[in-house]
Amino acid sequence: MKQNNMLAMILAGGRGSRLHDLTNKVAKPAVSYGGKYRIIDFPLSNCANSGIDVVGVLTQYESILLNSYVAAGRRWGLDAKDSGVYVLPPREKADENLNVYRGTADAISQNIDFIDSYSPEYVLILSGDHIYKMNYAKMLAEHNANKADATIAVIEVPMKEASRFGIMNTDEDGRIVEFEEKPEKPKSNLASMGIYIFNWKLLRKMLVADMKSSESSHDFGKDIIPSLLNDGRILHAYKFKGYWKDVGTIDSLWEANMDLLTADNELNLNDRSWKIYTEDITTLPHYVGANADIKNAYITQGCLVDGEVKNSVLFTGASVGAGAKVIDSVLMPGVVVEEGAVINRALIADGIRIGKDAVVGSADSENIELVAKRVKGVE
Amino acid sequence: MYSAFGIITPTVRNIWVEGLESYRPIGAFSFMGRYRVIDFPVSNMSNSGIDRIQVYLRKKPLALIDHLGSGRHYNINSKRGKLQVLVSENSADHDIYNTDVATYLENMEQIQKMYHPYVVIAPGYMIYTQDYSELLQAHTNSGADITLLYHSVDNAKDEFLNCNVLDLNKQKGVLSIERNPGTAKSRNISMDTYVMKTDLFIELLHKAKELSSMYTLADIINISCNELDVRGVAHRGYFATMTDFKSVYNANIAMIDHKTARSLFSEDWPIYTKTNDSCPTQYFETADVKTSIVSNGSLIEGTVEHSVIGRGCKIRKGAIVKNSIILSGAEIGEGVHVENQLVDKRAKLIHAKEVIAEEGNPGYIRRDDTL
Repeated sequence: MKQNNMLAMILAGGRGSRLHDLTNKVAKPAVSYGGKYRIIDFPLSNCANSGIDVVGVLTQYESILLNSYVAAGRRWGLDAKDSGVYVLPPREKADENLNVYRGTADAISQNIDFIDSYSPEYVLILSGDHIYKMNYAKMLAEHNANKADATIAVIEVPMKEASRFGIMNTDEDGRIVEFEEKPEKPKSNLASMGIYIFNWKLLRKMLVADMKSSESSHDFGKDIIPSLLNDGRILHAYKFKGYWKDVGTIDSLWEANMDLLTADNELNLNDRSWKIYTEDITTLPHYVGANADIKNAYITQGCLVDGEVKNSVLFTGASVGAGAKVIDSVLMPGVVVEEGAVINRALIADGIRIGKDAVVGSADSENIELVAKRVKGVE
Repeated sequence: MYSAFGIITPTVRNIWVEGLESYRPIGAFSFMGRYRVIDFPVSNMSNSGIDRIQVYLRKKPLALIDHLGSGRHYNINSKRGKLQVLVSENSADHDIYNTDVATYLENMEQIQKMYHPYVVIAPGYMIYTQDYSELLQAHTNSGADITLLYHSVDNAKDEFLNCNVLDLNKQKGVLSIERNPGTAKSRNISMDTYVMKTDLFIELLHKAKELSSMYTLADIINISCNELDVRGVAHRGYFATMTDFKSVYNANIAMIDHKTARSLFSEDWPIYTKTNDSCPTQYFETADVKTSIVSNGSLIEGTVEHSVIGRGCKIRKGAIVKNSIILSGAEIGEGVHVENQLVDKRAKLIHAKEVIAEEGNPGYIRRDDTL
């Protein structure tokens, strides 16, 4: 808390049901991305790189893996004396029944005691399922310069897509005058990124009131932000420029992986001044065999490649046998592609084996094929 | 294994690796692009249940201190265990005095502090895996005073020239430990790995000091072979020394064969190292990589064949890298042809278009050099 008196709370309870089988056993923030990462590595690394020392992670849906994953705070260097990553699932309290988190705001409300114990001046609310690099310290500096009560990070989206987002309408100084959730006729293209800085005293007051309201859906976008605007509070938009992706579907998760294949891509995971930290897995470097043919690929440690890999991303420990072809595809950790198998426009889930000479996906499919079950080889 | 503590030894005077060792101790040498040599003895000890480990260094300790850190990444308990780096401050001008014994004597207080009845001593300049708890078991079962590890080789005439060889009787009793004279192919190479009682270790150090300031631990054990019961245990599995430039090059290149690598690495014996948090390696349209080991964080646009690529290297368009070891952060520029070379960290090969050494006689490009 020494560094900037701001505590971060990451909302990581969502299932991400449009990711189908990928989120049967793990919550969306724990889904693998980019060869060696999990999605939640991004907000956690951003916190570490922005000088935030204390991070609460609010988990709910299928949280066993996520809880143990984020509890090892040292992966992100968040393990100094006054630093830590704390897992906050719903819990039973003395004066009420065990309650699940009823909404994004409720998840924070139910942990007011946790936040109070650090008495921060600011609280940063983040989503655990977005891929981006952002310096929250800069956002805080702008929050302070504007003397704002709350600051909301926004990103410009194409006008024709604006009706899919929560849109902030601002005046020329960037002060938010109106918030519209998925407007039919958007007046601006500034989409909320679900990243908020609040002065804790004010937010605390709002949350206590919100908890008592029977009409509230206990959601930041639907309830807290509108009532702050109603009260005439100063809300500012913080314009973010750069790569930002909410990977809600198999197609968009695949696409976000493919984005890494372009030279000088916007996310640039090779930037040494803003590394994304993750679990340190003990494996060998990757091996490239005598029959390999690798073009436009992103390959990480533990992989074994003896086949053809084109336009694809291979995650930790994936292997591609001789004569196999992996094209326009994503192989999640531990995937085994046996000799002669052909994979086209597919996303193969963790640990799945694709048998000898099997054919998966096709070059002209409209959607990316998700393979979450073993595919038997040709006998 | 609470009954033994570990010592990882510095190199002694007969070992010097051209080029590489000017910048760092052998323990800090890169292996397979991802590891450092010291990861092997430390992981061996950690996996054997030894959680008090002393690493002795003589010169240029920075790279190793940075790499070892608190030892947490070696799976050593941060309260009960400890990874200590002990640096010799009194390095003499004359290298003949800079023995391992001198380094231990200088840190005698730290050795006497150890409450463990046994000590396992292993070199920071050799690559092998070994369960030291088995070695300790063999030691206590046999009732020997000293048990040491050796590896039988059939190429001692041309290689292992600055290592020690053992003369053994039929019962594996050690008759002598001497510098490899290079006169015979088949030899038992000493792996400079010993198990003995801590008290005996301290006694031997004092004895060595009384007899000669030039004595190493191997020397004093050699002259004690008659009075003490010194026995050898044969090591099985992959074994390589990092004791001269060619052996460093060869050991790295040998790992390109996945079968050989599997004789060193196994699922149930993890070799830990310090993570660098590099992203995966990116291959571009023009990349052509075959039969190689590639570490994370690299950008590959060129041709790589039968080579080891370290972390964060750049292989530019039209570059050809063959039979070479490229250490982390090095760059091979457009159209540059590199063959049979060990390219040290962050070197940039840009202007010279052909950097080729003859096969069997690998070349060395210095750290941070631009060619």
